[in-house]
Amino acid sequence: MLLGLSRPATQVHAQDILIPMDARQSDHLKAYGIAFWSLQRGVTVDWLLNYRGGSFLLPFDNEIEQELRIRGVYSEKLGGAQTASVISEVESEANNTSLVRLEKAPRVAVYAPQQTLPWDDAVLLALNYAEVPYEMVYDDDVMEGELANYDWLHLHHEDFTGQFGKFIQYRSMPWYIEQQRQAEAAARRHGFRKVSELKLVVTQTIRDYVTNGGFLFAMCSGTDTFDIASAALNTDIVPAEYDGDPIDPDALSKLDYSQTFAFHNFRPNFNAQQYEHSDIDTGPPPPQLRNPALDYFTIFEFSAKWDPVPTMLTQNHVATVRGFIGQTTNFEKQFIKPNVVILAEAPGRDEVRYLHGSYGQGTFTFYAGHDPEDYQHFVGDPPTDLALHKNSPGYRLILNNVLFPAAKKKKQKT
Amino acid sequence: MDSTQVARFQLAESYLRAGQFDRAIGLLEDLYEASPATHVFYEKLKEGYENVKMYDEAIALVDQRLALDANPVLLFSEKARLQFLKGDEQAAYASWDEAIAAAPNHANSYRVVFQSLSRVRLFERAVSILEQGREKLNSKDQFQMDLAYLYSLTNAHDKAMQEYVGLLKNNERQLSFVRSRLGRFIDQEGVLDKSIPIVEDVVRETPLNRSYRELLGWLYMENAQYSEALNVYRAIDRLEQENGGILFSFAKQAADAAAYEPASAAFAEILERYPDAPSAPEAQMGLAEMHEQRAQELLERAFDESGTRISAPNYEASFAAYQVFLQQYPTHPYYPEVLKRMGRLQQDVFFNLGDAEATLLEVLNEFGSSSAANDADFDLGRIAVMRGDLDKARLIFTRLEEKLRIGELAEKARFQLALIHFYEGEFDASLTLSQVMNENTSTDIANDAIELKVLLFENKGPDSLNTPLNLYATASLAKRQRTYDIALAGLDDLLLRFGSHALADDARFLRATTLREIGETESALQAFLEFHLIHPTSFLVDRSLFTAAEIYEQQLGDDDKAAETYSKLLLEHPTSLLASQARDRIRMLRGDGT
Repeated sequence: MLLGLSRPATQVHAQDILIPMDARQSDHLKAYGIAFWSLQRGVTVDWLLNYRGGSFLLPFDNEIEQELRIRGVYSEKLGGAQTASVISEVESEANNTSLVRLEKAPRVAVYAPQQTLPWDDAVLLALNYAEVPYEMVYDDDVMEGELANYDWLHLHHEDFTGQFGKFIQYRSMPWYIEQQRQAEAAARRHGFRKVSELKLVVTQTIRDYVTNGGFLFAMCSGTDTFDIASAALNTDIVPAEYDGDPIDPDALSKLDYSQTFAFHNFRPNFNAQQYEHSDIDTGPPPPQLRNPALDYFTIFEFSAKWDPVPTMLTQNHVATVRGFIGQTTNFEKQFIKPNVVILAEAPGRDEVRYLHGSYGQGTFTFYAGHDPEDYQHFVGDPPTDLALHKNSPGYRLILNNVLFPAAKKKKQKT
Repeated sequence: MDSTQVARFQLAESYLRAGQFDRAIGLLEDLYEASPATHVFYEKLKEGYENVKMYDEAIALVDQRLALDANPVLLFSEKARLQFLKGDEQAAYASWDEAIAAAPNHANSYRVVFQSLSRVRLFERAVSILEQGREKLNSKDQFQMDLAYLYSLTNAHDKAMQEYVGLLKNNERQLSFVRSRLGRFIDQEGVLDKSIPIVEDVVRETPLNRSYRELLGWLYMENAQYSEALNVYRAIDRLEQENGGILFSFAKQAADAAAYEPASAAFAEILERYPDAPSAPEAQMGLAEMHEQRAQELLERAFDESGTRISAPNYEASFAAYQVFLQQYPTHPYYPEVLKRMGRLQQDVFFNLGDAEATLLEVLNEFGSSSAANDADFDLGRIAVMRGDLDKARLIFTRLEEKLRIGELAEKARFQLALIHFYEGEFDASLTLSQVMNENTSTDIANDAIELKVLLFENKGPDSLNTPLNLYATASLAKRQRTYDIALAGLDDLLLRFGSHALADDARFLRATTLREIGETESALQAFLEFHLIHPTSFLVDRSLFTAAEIYEQQLGDDDKAAETYSKLLLEHPTSLLASQARDRIRMLRGDGT
């Protein structure tokens, strides 16, 4: 649980800096980086949920002001009385707003191979553009217990089922050959005969990390394949084209949905040639809607005072976000577990775009789609230049997740 | 097989295709029991077992076949594969060993086992089997293709290259195959670093093998080692008596990759060694082009800021090379193009308008139907402007615009006409032309047209003669004609007489720009710095601050002052189009990301 805090009157600074996150903001994405940078320097940042698009309030400091200017982030200086007025407005029972204090910059890890793959990773792009420092971890690090060193872990276009992304049409491409070779070598290094066996242990290790309080964020195929691999712990769902032996004929009956974070009752796709992992993914929108001008999803609104976590995760300056296609584009509603909170969905289509849940002491957040600013990112396409999308609502959702672990935890009542 | 068996077998096959393995297995077991010697029954039953992971049954089936002693190498390999899939690795390795032991003196035994191992992606073991086979058979050339591929797959790129070299040794015509094979891995880290030394060694040892050298040249090119590649292609050219053909191909590739020096060297070598080669004229032109490109890259100038002629070695070399082309290849189709290029150098680099005019007139008069003629005509128009002969310039640009009507050169001619109207004080005509032009925003010249339109639109008056604008136009023309003292005097006069006119900011900015161009750095800096104090609301204010910061940074080497001035721009003009550039400069100056 997280606690909304008011600034005690004695702590109100003579002057503060407000970083509005509404339409007035010149660079929403770099604003997150400034908040992160301030936290790194020991400055407490107040996140004003639902106030002007989820603004940040910081104590005035010349260096911060200079950095805001250099990074091109719009800000407003507030006098003491103005700050008090803003806080009282945010804390007012009449408004669906609240103040969450961010205290410590989370240690961020991105689960990704060192090998360069011919597609971009929206989170790496967002972190790089926002200038949020992170470290890259992969299977060896996970197996060696490195996850304990991080507060926040991100998974992007990963295939935890051990089917190499089901990119079989690219099997003769150097990057595919190398990816498969490295994955197989890692599996054998850790004493597994098959990549799927290694990936299963990796998913279980990540699940333990969440159980122990880690924050997990996943996008694209990193979402559903995580749960598919977790559910398949007692069976083989990988076709012979990927691991040399056929699937278990009783695979469906052996799936254990109690092992998953978000999804249940789904059916893995056993066709090696089909670029689809399961029926969790609804696939691209129907042809009449497969158009960036028509395809969109809506972000739900939550009670800022009673539901601070989903509120933090959905902070945005718009309520409607342009859709984008990925290997996993949207989650089929019927396969989402009942205890999972739906944060955003495609209206009228029973297709969920963004969801969140708790697991043990930690949380997971799944965001479907590949690149919020590239409607249909194909293999080999150049990465998106975020300097051209400074105000991207789709990318904001990613960066909400980066800051959310910095929020002050509520003290347990005794 | 009787007809009943055939029907049942076909039904079993359809079950297999539909994934109904249990039904298929039932049928196939009956068929196999009735006719164990029928190979297809055995194969399909084994396939059925494998599909439902009944590995023990599949292995038992293979054992039964082994008892018949049909083909022990193949069967042991198959048994081993099934054992491996079952998870019994030790038994699998033993079976593969048995497969080899069944016929250790046959190359095919090793090949069958290697294929079986590859099927379960045990590449390292597959490598050792083939190496073992090579030793046993005492044949260094065995399994070259297979081993090369396996080595590449297992990251042993040096060993892979050894195998490819072996292939080429036996058959030089395999070079294309080798390249295509290597091409699949070439982008992987370490491939080139590991491969190149191998090929370097073999070229040293066997200097007369062309395929080795071609492979090495290709690897160097892939690794952007153009100088080394040049040496290789130079050698091939000599040894194979290619008369510069190979060198010319290399030079063009190097030029495309902006490797100007190796490209120049290659062109020069062609000219020196093979002056009569078919590629010699293009080599001569290429040589001149490389010098010119290099000069542009180095921002070379033939005059310093005070107007004194200084050495411009690359431009001079380029001009000289073009001259040689004209002397040696007077009938070549590229002759007018070369002439035009020379004229442009004379005009824009050496500021020798008389020679430039003569050169460009030659293009126009002698080669009027060539593609270079229109460009030459345009440049003649520019010369007329620089000489102040605006009527002549107008005539040239009008004629060109009417002739072409569409395209980039037509737009450029139109803009020059708008400028001439401007210089002559015909502001309505200039405005009309620039308005027409900015409707077509797809052209490069549209921005200039918009800027001119805004200048005209905002700065007419106060008198009916538009005196300030006339003074400004005269100064602009003087600056273009490089008569800087006249330009500065005109601008000072304008500012003195019309200091509060809307045009004052443009005049001050033009004055500061002119000062910078003639090397009056301190005065220029001062002019740019005071600009924002005098004209705080001018649309040029951010540009003046940016330019001042640029002078601090680039000409005075004062990084702190530069950063301070860039910051001032961000503070006072956060929405400026130059803001992101200013941010980048500050970050660069403070060492971000280093």
